[in-house]
Amino acid sequence: MIILSYLAVGAIVLALITLSKSHKTMNAFFILHTLTFLAIGIYALFTTTVPFETGSEYFYVDHLSLYEVLIAALLFFLASVYANGYVESLMQAQELHRNNLKIFYMDFSLLLTIVTLAFFSDNLALFWIFAELTTIFSAALVAILSARENIDAAIKYIFIASGAMLFSFIGLIFLYTLSGEVLGSGTLNWTLLLENAALLSPKMLTASFVFLFIGFAAKSGIFPFHTWLPDAHSKAPSAVSAILSGVLLNIGMYGILRMYAIVRQTQAEDMISQFLLGFGLLTVAIAVLNMLLQKNLKMLIAFSSVEHMGILLLGIGIGTPLALFWALFYILAHSLTKASLFFSAGILHRQYESNMIQDIRDVFSLQPIAGWGFVIGSFAIIGMPPFPIFSAKFFILLEAFGFSKSLVFAVLLLLVIASAAFARFLIEAFTRSSKETGTESLETPLLPYTVRSGMKFPILSILLMILALGVFFPEPLENLLNVIVYELGYL
Amino acid sequence: MIFSFLADPEFLEGIIRILFVFVLITAAFTLSTRNIASLLTVYAVQSLLLVLIASFLYMIEGNQTLLAIAALTLVSKVLLIPLFINLIGEKIKISRDLKFNYLEPTASLLVSIGLILLAYVFLSGFFSEYILGKLFFIGAVIGLSLTLMGMLVIFSRKKVITKVIGYLTMENGVLLFGIFVADLPFIIEILIVIDLMILVLLTTILAIGLDSTREEYHQRLQTLKIWSGRED
Repeated sequence: MIILSYLAVGAIVLALITLSKSHKTMNAFFILHTLTFLAIGIYALFTTTVPFETGSEYFYVDHLSLYEVLIAALLFFLASVYANGYVESLMQAQELHRNNLKIFYMDFSLLLTIVTLAFFSDNLALFWIFAELTTIFSAALVAILSARENIDAAIKYIFIASGAMLFSFIGLIFLYTLSGEVLGSGTLNWTLLLENAALLSPKMLTASFVFLFIGFAAKSGIFPFHTWLPDAHSKAPSAVSAILSGVLLNIGMYGILRMYAIVRQTQAEDMISQFLLGFGLLTVAIAVLNMLLQKNLKMLIAFSSVEHMGILLLGIGIGTPLALFWALFYILAHSLTKASLFFSAGILHRQYESNMIQDIRDVFSLQPIAGWGFVIGSFAIIGMPPFPIFSAKFFILLEAFGFSKSLVFAVLLLLVIASAAFARFLIEAFTRSSKETGTESLETPLLPYTVRSGMKFPILSILLMILALGVFFPEPLENLLNVIVYELGYL
Repeated sequence: MIFSFLADPEFLEGIIRILFVFVLITAAFTLSTRNIASLLTVYAVQSLLLVLIASFLYMIEGNQTLLAIAALTLVSKVLLIPLFINLIGEKIKISRDLKFNYLEPTASLLVSIGLILLAYVFLSGFFSEYILGKLFFIGAVIGLSLTLMGMLVIFSRKKVITKVIGYLTMENGVLLFGIFVADLPFIIEILIVIDLMILVLLTTILAIGLDSTREEYHQRLQTLKIWSGRED
């Protein structure tokens, strides 16, 4: 029922967007789409007994999938509100061609539907296909500005992510054969695999996991498959960047999480756990080194996404129930915070028509909301208290202590570098005023860019949400995360 | 009966082995050919070889899914996709992809020999505990090698169109691997082909802007740096 209603709403909205003529109506339908998806998710969470069978062996709804779908719908909602003013500005600046407007909204709305279906897939092959489709449709959104560098970034994104996903498919074939040996006939249903996980041969499962990891890691920007990410995330329109970082990276992580839940039941756990910790640490290291002397604002945020995916991987790799609990919370905290950073960066980009550090000046007098949004967002993203990423990082690292002290020290050191990178950028770019540098007389003074309707709301509401999440930990959320930990077989 | 030898499994297995060799030859061509039109022909031939392998395997095993896979591959990969890429290729007026990144053809061929050996060693390590028939084991090795060689094409060629063919080669490798290791439900195969078609559609459309040698695109043409995390 739920899957059908999602599909129906998705199809109807897609048709409505296709038929509508003006930007306002397209945007309104898209906002409606995101709100309906949010509503269905919340309705399902509170009125039905989750997890439940959907009547089809291909789909399955449990708390983890609902949690991810709700995060995705929330971010799409914020992005859709933001897009209203942002896309209008893009068209005015002639960066987005008017002919592409309808494609943009159709693609965006289709992406939301596919992401939702991906999270609800029980059959791993089906999940693989939906994940593949999200790559293609999001790459189209990166390329929509049809500038050379955008097409470049989109092509790179497609070939690295999709190419790596083909290796994942080999992993699925392994898994299918493996389950066939144990269950008589092969299956790729996650629920069945989890039930029978203890019977699976650890050696083959390890091989299967490693192949699957290649694709999922590429989708979530884990080293050494992260090279597409900074380009795609920084070149995409900011409304899209927020979705790329806040939602699409979660898809790869979701795949790794589900697979790890199966591996955890077998003797392969030790090896896989170290494997994940190793890649997590490397990813964080590569990301922070790229952040340190970064001159491009959106590149900085994009590399910070790579860093956070690394930490999430560590959280999954530690493998204790508590670490998983905080990793799940981390997903929510990171998605929200990262979206606010990209939304602020979008306004700053409209103002200066550049992302480069040397072009940014007089931030607080020209764009107070975006400026403060970025400053507070930076504090939140580097994990300062009282923001939610602080507690998530803190408890993950606390759990990591039981695993290895040197790992914790290494991560802490890298996190300091990440904070330094943000601090350096903020101090250099955000304190520059045109009076001091004396450029005022040489150039025409910058006129403030009028922030259009709807662009401030997402930033402000996210800042409120993360502050609230950091200070109070709502009980329903705690219960939800506990149930997920239980359902994944950790308790 | 004149076709009675087609009912002899040993003969069919022999044929399939020969086809494996042909598949590897097509992969070697993909790595070294500069002419886009011949690259497309090579891809179509390679897909046709897969159709034949699946059909012969069907004659040995009698598994209906294999026949369906053969039909699907014939329509999508032998006919539709090459036709479509050809259409785009004519539109953007490039006939040759001359430049190579990192690896020249000779080096690529040497690397791919290494990759085939690697696939063999890797798979024999994992499938030793399973009784996979000899033919099926070789099929899996060839499939994995083809995937790796396709990756090499994406890695070493410059034009987007050539990279698309590299991706398609990878996908053919996965298909071959799948045929010999597991019988996946047919619905999954259909969905994969749909996914492949959308991907080819999008990348080739994007390629128009990047690959074209026509004057209006010329200024936007620079080398496509796919594997470096460059800043600008």
